[in-house]
Amino acid sequence: MNLTARTIESTRIIDVDGDVDLRASPQFRKFLFEALKEAPKVIINLTAIRYIDSSGIAVLIEGLQESRRLKHQLVLYGMNTRVNNVFKLTRVIQIFQVVDTEEQALAAGIPDASQQG
Amino acid sequence: MTDPVPATELYFDARIVISADVRFLSAIRHTIEHLTAALGWNDAESLAITLAIEEALTNKIRHAYKNRPDGRIQFEFRKEPNAVVFQLTDQGEPPDPARICAQRENMQPGGFGTQIMKDAMDQVVYRTTEEGNQVIMTKYLPSGRTAPEGPQ
Repeated sequence: MNLTARTIESTRIIDVDGDVDLRASPQFRKFLFEALKEAPKVIINLTAIRYIDSSGIAVLIEGLQESRRLKHQLVLYGMNTRVNNVFKLTRVIQIFQVVDTEEQALAAGIPDASQQG
Repeated sequence: MTDPVPATELYFDARIVISADVRFLSAIRHTIEHLTAALGWNDAESLAITLAIEEALTNKIRHAYKNRPDGRIQFEFRKEPNAVVFQLTDQGEPPDPARICAQRENMQPGGFGTQIMKDAMDQVVYRTTEEGNQVIMTKYLPSGRTAPEGPQ
């Protein structure tokens, strides 16, 4: 797995590339939590993820919890078929703010708290 | 090109013994992905089966052996007439029945493994024998499925 971070204004974008499994997820968690601490809005680009297991999904849920604790925003985009299938199997997609493109992610506002899971 | 032998007539019977170490996950994952694709499962089904095997493996690494790399996991997978049977055995701590049966909450970052295994497989059996703690997962071949029942 390779992780890279880009910054556009005050938003941090994390590009995730490769397999996110139990071996890689601790590094992903550390990277995500550092980004959440430093930026009020974090976007995760899922386009180049080839495989993600439940440890990777768990990192995303922990990141979402952390973003809410900090009153920051976490947005996901670029969900490919394989990642979408894992989200379906784990039945957690509805708790995340998910959009199709980076432009939509950058434009996305904080969702209504009453709609959050 | 038409395959000369249907998937139901293919044979394999494999046993791999590995350290309880996350560095083996990728190798096991690729093996199962290729095997399930060769047997005729579509991409989504192949991914679900692969994920279920990986969840069973990671449960043994994290819970049975508590990430101790000196632990050993026996992974057996064999073809039966209309199904593939995947069996994983460890000699670590037996699984907690409460964890196996637990319903997970939406914002809970864990507890996916047993749910994924149950959803992806046709049968999941946990047992403890003299050999150790076993999880045995059976998945019927695409061509071995019975037709779904119509509306009543």
